[in-house]
Amino acid sequence: MKRRNYHWKENVTGYLFILPQFLMFLIFIVYPIFEGIRLSLYKVQFNQQTFVGLDNYVTLFHDPVFFKSIYNTVIFVVFIVILTVAFSIFVASAVFDKKPRYVSFIRGSYYIPVMVSMVVMSMVWGFLLNPANGLISYAAREMDFSIVNLLGNKHTVLPVIIFVTFATNVGQAIILYIAAMIGVPKDLFEAAEVDGASRIRTIFQILIPLVKPTTIYITIINIIAVLKIFVVIQLLTGGGPNNGSVTMMYYLYNNAFKYNQLGIASAVGVIMFVITMLLSIPQLRAMFKEE
Amino acid sequence: MLKKRMFSAATALVLIMSLLAGCSGGDQKNTANNSAGGEADSGKKDKVELSLWLTPQWKGVLDASEPNADYDSFFKEAADKFSKQYDKYDVKVNVQVIAGDQRDEMLNVNLNGGTPPDIFFESVFAMGDYVHRGALEPLDDLVDDTAKADIDQKYWDNVTFGDNVYFYPFAHNPGTLAYNADMFKAAGLDNYIGDANEIQTWSLDEYNNILKTLKEKLPKGSYPMGLYALNNQGDTWNLAYLRMFGNKFFDDERNIILDDENGLKAAQWLKDVYSQGYTNPGAESVSSNDANAMFQNQQLAVSFTNAVLFNNAKADMEAGKAPKFDIRLANIPSASGNPLSFTYVVGACVFKTGNDVKTQVAKDFVKFFSSDSELVKSSKNSIPVRSSVADQFKDQYPLFTAYDANSANLFNFTGNVPGYSELRQVLYPELQAIYIGEKTPEQAIKDYQSKGNTIIQQAKESSIIYSK
Repeated sequence: MKRRNYHWKENVTGYLFILPQFLMFLIFIVYPIFEGIRLSLYKVQFNQQTFVGLDNYVTLFHDPVFFKSIYNTVIFVVFIVILTVAFSIFVASAVFDKKPRYVSFIRGSYYIPVMVSMVVMSMVWGFLLNPANGLISYAAREMDFSIVNLLGNKHTVLPVIIFVTFATNVGQAIILYIAAMIGVPKDLFEAAEVDGASRIRTIFQILIPLVKPTTIYITIINIIAVLKIFVVIQLLTGGGPNNGSVTMMYYLYNNAFKYNQLGIASAVGVIMFVITMLLSIPQLRAMFKEE
Repeated sequence: MLKKRMFSAATALVLIMSLLAGCSGGDQKNTANNSAGGEADSGKKDKVELSLWLTPQWKGVLDASEPNADYDSFFKEAADKFSKQYDKYDVKVNVQVIAGDQRDEMLNVNLNGGTPPDIFFESVFAMGDYVHRGALEPLDDLVDDTAKADIDQKYWDNVTFGDNVYFYPFAHNPGTLAYNADMFKAAGLDNYIGDANEIQTWSLDEYNNILKTLKEKLPKGSYPMGLYALNNQGDTWNLAYLRMFGNKFFDDERNIILDDENGLKAAQWLKDVYSQGYTNPGAESVSSNDANAMFQNQQLAVSFTNAVLFNNAKADMEAGKAPKFDIRLANIPSASGNPLSFTYVVGACVFKTGNDVKTQVAKDFVKFFSSDSELVKSSKNSIPVRSSVADQFKDQYPLFTAYDANSANLFNFTGNVPGYSELRQVLYPELQAIYIGEKTPEQAIKDYQSKGNTIIQQAKESSIIYSK
């Protein structure tokens, strides 16, 4: 008893310091998760909630648009994450050992789109790509080319969204990679140089393995961010053409706020939560193992 | 050591207390607000704060040419006038303008959070769902014999759901086409131009001929007709086109019956005018806002409009905000030769907030601005529902007579069906599928009918009107 008291006294200050944050965590993170799970089992109407069991999930799995949204989300996650990691490794490994002023310039150039809001970026792209009065279609018309509606074509709408999102996000990854690569001990490169290793070999055999924790971190944050891709869809395509670019988050949003189907929207949220957990756990485990 | 730990613990405690105090501060404020409601004990009136939302309607109190005219000017003026003459409470009205495409999001979030606005001023068609969901207060007690005599029965029918009136009609806003008479003249289509104070009616053959000629004669970068299907905005015109060949759209049971020969002809017509280049390109990615902007920039010869948009376009031209051209009105043509006419009845509704005092004051305010002899004059910015106002302004606005003549061909585009908001969300993806060639018109209308009827059926099951 005495020992427990001592232990309590020893740590009470620490607990008190984390208590405010912990309370916030419980109220704003844990409670909404459980509330979301609960709502996914209810039909929510104005002033009335009816328990419907797994009906909302059954409805979801009978809706082809939901499957389309999963497919599109997976495509976005795979391509945007691969493009981001590959391109940022390419840029960072090319410049990390150059003069600081040059590195800063490259870093700054790629980081500017990150600072601009995604809303603004989407609106600018929308203005460029609008088939009726956009700049690209205007230029095409003036040069007597046929007008291609990149946002209205099922085969081009996904690549356009992937490119827009990638272009906006890649700066963050480049910054992180450059920082990680600058931190790699110089003597390793010198030793490789003495052994006559080419730059390509140095990058693949020394640099990339040594920045693996950064790669894992960038992959996880990008997977989570792209799973929630929404703004660019809402502003650029509205999920179209004919639901061709609808994502899980956009589908959730439509159900929650446009169709007022809170139960179904919560069920989508729960499924997204499970997918994110499943994707993140092995990678987080790998990261902690390294440490 | 002990002192140091005590100090740390005390600091942590102060942090937590300040956090909790910060949180509870808001509650105290709320209590103060909630207490505002009962009758005053002293001579001073108690305060009641109302929130009024509206989507953009007309600018200014009476006219868009007033200095600093904006969408909320009318309600700010009405609130000021109301609070000066209202003897029960000291009323403050917070007016907020909501974008039309954000309406349902904003309302759903606030309804689910228990904070709906007290009053919403909007087209009735967009708000019918909230009646079916039981979110609105009936307004029958506001309707007196004077109002009934002054406002035609067809407008009362429009705002009546089941046995109750849920909206106080203020104005109506007929939807038509607008055309650029200068572009018509340049294309040699003088014969098809109507009088500036009339709504021109073309037969469908004439309209097809107009589009064909415009396509041949218009300069590069300009298109004969505006067509859009990016989202649900402006979808009433798309619904009108789908009735062009005589399809009734809803049966007596309020089910969609678009999938027949006439519905198919209409969907095919849309596909044809698009693929023949009679419209702007990329209709699947173009919104009604884009189309309207293109029309104002003289990139479209024919576009959709309603009374408010038409007046705003003219005001923009007068103010030098948009290029000036000869803008005129035409009806949506149909195969039968009779024009397709629809109108948005615009009025205020009162949300159920659970606060009896606020509800009563909100109702009093709605009645005030919807019946005050000076304020109702503002309805001339679209078309007045009150005969007294229409008579007063008919010499000044000759189009009132033209709109009145059109009312014989009105169709009810919502069918007053429950679930109309969600129903709107399934039309534009099918139109997109037609335009991008993913579905045949036949398949698209079949799918729309099937999805639409499922939505209506589900909404009927939870509608308070149908469950009565």
